[in-house]
Amino acid sequence: MSTAQQGARAARAGATPYLYLAPAVVLFTLFVAAPIGYTAYLSMRRVKFSGLGLGKNSRTEIFVGLDNYRAAVADGEFWAGWLRVLGYAGLVLTLMLGLALVFALLLDSARVRLARFSRIAIFLPYAVPGVVATLLWGFLYLPSLSPVHATLRAFGVENVDLLDPSTVLFSMVNVAIWGGTGFNMLVLYTQLRAIPRDYYEAARIDGASELAIALRVKVPMLAPALVLTTVFSIIATIQVFTEPMTLRPISNAVSSTWSPLMKVYTDAFVNGDLYSAAATSLVIALISVVPSLLFMRLVRRRAFGEER
Amino acid sequence: MRTKRLSAALSVLLAGALVAGCSSSPEEETPQETGPVELTFWTWAPNMDKIAAVWNEAHPDIKVTVSKQAGGDEAAAKFLTAAKAGNAPDLVQAEYQMLPSFVAAEAVADIKADVEGVRGEFSDGIWRLVTLGTDAVYGLPQDSGPMMLYYRQDLFARYGLEVPRTWEEYAAAARTVHARDKSVYLGGFSSKDPGWFAGLAQQAGGQWWSITGEAWQVGINDDATKKVADFWGGLAKEGVVDTQAPWTPEWNAALNGGKLLTWSSAVWGPGVLSSNAPDGKGKWAIAPLPQWSAGENHSGFWGGSSIAVSAGSKHRKAAAQFLSWLNTDAKAVDLLIKEAAIYPAAKSGQQLLTTAPEYFANQPDFWQQATTIAGTARGFTFGPNVNVAYGAYKDAFDKAVQQKSSFTDALAAVQDATVADMKKSGFTLAS
Amino acid sequence: MTATMLDKPRTTAGADRPGGVRRPLGFAPTAVLLLGALYCLLPVLWVVTASTKTRGELFTSNAFAPGTGLLDNIADLSAYRDGIFWQWMANTALYAGVGALLSTAVSVLAGYALAKFRFFGRDVIFNVLIGGILVPAVVLAVPQYLLLAKAGLANSYWAVLLPSILHPYSIYLARIYAAAAIPDALLEAGRIDGAGEHRLLRVVALPLLAPGMVTIFLFQFVAIWNNFLLPFIMLADDERFPLTVGLYTLLATGANQPALYHLVIIGALLSIIPLIALFLTMQRYWRTDLSGGSVKS
Repeated sequence: MSTAQQGARAARAGATPYLYLAPAVVLFTLFVAAPIGYTAYLSMRRVKFSGLGLGKNSRTEIFVGLDNYRAAVADGEFWAGWLRVLGYAGLVLTLMLGLALVFALLLDSARVRLARFSRIAIFLPYAVPGVVATLLWGFLYLPSLSPVHATLRAFGVENVDLLDPSTVLFSMVNVAIWGGTGFNMLVLYTQLRAIPRDYYEAARIDGASELAIALRVKVPMLAPALVLTTVFSIIATIQVFTEPMTLRPISNAVSSTWSPLMKVYTDAFVNGDLYSAAATSLVIALISVVPSLLFMRLVRRRAFGEER
Repeated sequence: MRTKRLSAALSVLLAGALVAGCSSSPEEETPQETGPVELTFWTWAPNMDKIAAVWNEAHPDIKVTVSKQAGGDEAAAKFLTAAKAGNAPDLVQAEYQMLPSFVAAEAVADIKADVEGVRGEFSDGIWRLVTLGTDAVYGLPQDSGPMMLYYRQDLFARYGLEVPRTWEEYAAAARTVHARDKSVYLGGFSSKDPGWFAGLAQQAGGQWWSITGEAWQVGINDDATKKVADFWGGLAKEGVVDTQAPWTPEWNAALNGGKLLTWSSAVWGPGVLSSNAPDGKGKWAIAPLPQWSAGENHSGFWGGSSIAVSAGSKHRKAAAQFLSWLNTDAKAVDLLIKEAAIYPAAKSGQQLLTTAPEYFANQPDFWQQATTIAGTARGFTFGPNVNVAYGAYKDAFDKAVQQKSSFTDALAAVQDATVADMKKSGFTLAS
Repeated sequence: MTATMLDKPRTTAGADRPGGVRRPLGFAPTAVLLLGALYCLLPVLWVVTASTKTRGELFTSNAFAPGTGLLDNIADLSAYRDGIFWQWMANTALYAGVGALLSTAVSVLAGYALAKFRFFGRDVIFNVLIGGILVPAVVLAVPQYLLLAKAGLANSYWAVLLPSILHPYSIYLARIYAAAAIPDALLEAGRIDGAGEHRLLRVVALPLLAPGMVTIFLFQFVAIWNNFLLPFIMLADDERFPLTVGLYTLLATGANQPALYHLVIIGALLSIIPLIALFLTMQRYWRTDLSGGSVKS
């Protein structure tokens, strides 16, 4: 067991790694794999009623093969939802990650005052649960009590509806940026702090400005972390659900199928149709495999390249 | 230093967690076969635990435990999922429109034999909501929501308005008010409250679902409902009714600040008004809903719920016994009124309501009026997929309100979505 | 380099760092950051002001004007259903505390094995475990419920605890931390000295991983604290509800009852306070070195 291996990189396998992985694998099997298997099973079934469906035995669960999948894929709203999510993801990814990058660089730059305060403040929304966010934005987006509208009025902008079809996307993006910038900023900032200072000293001695150092030295070094935050954010935006659900009660412009995952939620939790929800959710998972395969490749090449 | 100590602590805890993970197994809950019958009860009515405590005191052999639930859209799905897993509570609160889907899912029991004795306590219209027009009885009615018009007495006087007796008068008043002040509306149309629209359709004589022989008939876009949709569609297009989403801070502020002069709502309105529009105290009053033709006298129902016994309950008789007490016993109904702030479905309960709500001190005969109006309310049969129809209503009318497009088209979309879903599920539909 | 980085978190403020000599941009960077801070803080500030308002003030006064009902609101909330709010608070602390602890244990073990051992199936196991993030919680909640119900565990503390333990992000982080913080040479030396693998884990690996473990613990703690859907579907008995589900019952009171806004808002504020306290007291651990400081010196 304890014999050293050639290359001195890792211990020879033995049972130890399997033992250490066992809890994770068991939990994965029980709480991820088994439910997914069950979802796949449900996705090929449906409840069939006969007659009025009210008497005894007028209800049977039947096998329908791929019918639920066909219905999911044939639904125009489903694809329209993907289109909306695409636009949403484009905005969130650029704005949120852009802001996170700027904040991280500023925090890391020389002589910023109140850095600790800013860092904690920007990270704070991470602690606000979704139930509260709904209430919060209801108060802030609706005109009569809102300081946002009061400010706009002060600048002469009257009667802006932040929740009509032309603006609701941006209102949603704002909720996402508010909630997510802090986390990503922290990821990038931590990475920046790990860069040895000597790297910049050379540039400074050459007379490079802070801005030049940030752009030419720091950003390239952040590349691995940026790639990873991007991929994590892509997966999160594909699964967008909380933000539209948050605004739906206060806006007439957010349908119950605004995003693909909202359709799953509506089917499962409002219409009680677990079977369609199961099929749709597996289609969503399949579609998300594309960016995630990309993710796997990047993860292995970028982060673990030095291990092998 | 802190790092060290923390890491040491965490390592110890970690080791402990590992040991615990190996040695402990989840405790099994063994059902008690001896002793009193234990019933669990899912409800969102406030203070139901206090009412159950009164029952428990008097009935040591049947102990009811209340689990307070959220009353949102997801409540029904949660119960159906629990029933599917064999984990349903013994008793469950079910909004009337959700009861048929519970029945179709075979999640609630027929308690006809156990509640025969209290049939006389309820009016025919309400009773039909728990029988679904069949021979079975799937629950006991708890509360109901006959609809009426809430209006601001003081502002009506200021604008020189009469309380509208017909919808025609309502439309005229809506134009007058909005013309006088662009920030004020006579009332609102809600694309978020399908139950409200269903109540207005009931008033007009709509029959969204009906049973002919062994087949369902879906009439969401029947002539009566089309008339209602047309009426509101016209006003919305003119821009003389408020179409913002209700139940938001904005809407509360409008109610509170005199920007909305009426609210077509149901008998449970006082609770909402006193909470969300405290400044309007003593300024609101009730009247019957405007009618479709002068001289008529009809209303509809918005909201209201029944309590059902789940099909999986091992104590059906005991559960039904508690149900009968809760919804018909004079003391229990009195508690429902005082503690749970509901408008009881039992006829006897309505006579217990004598003192007007504090918020309506200006209208001492509030309950007499309400009871008179309640007598004119007509309901309709709900179908097995109301959730789908209601979901389609929100999507279709949200869009229609937003684009100021035809409300009749939106109604047709709701009808189509509902019929398509029923066909998919295999229900027999009358052609 | 990377190991020391994890070992000794540097002092947090940037101002006292050597190297920052010039200020070509003047006050601008600070101003931008403060603007960002303001943007993130204002909505949180709203929760604070709103919680001071009485029911009436909530819908009549400007969103940021303070009210007069803070203490009354707290008293009302504590009186609601005989103080069940505090039961929810205790439950949430239990779910988040125990759940995050178990999650950290499982993740660190898995991450250590993945980073420091070579064995058959390593990549497959890692990919499959990480692939878990592709399946959203909305999708898993109902099947998880149905399966746990079959095991007789639905509506128990276990129903919320057990599914919260496995967390792909945490395993991913743990692997990175382990790769960066534990020098292979140290393990090799231990093996040559004849130390068993479990002893190496306890004596060498865990102490080196401790800061990373705290980070994983904190992230999991917040994630479970704010989780809504899983406990919502799993729990029937409101004595076992966590804060999110409990507050939701105050908000969704049923069609015929007014929402208890003032209780929800003060409840929300009280529910955020422990998290803020965590942020402030343990801020040095709030770091997510996702790529393990891949810059090698």
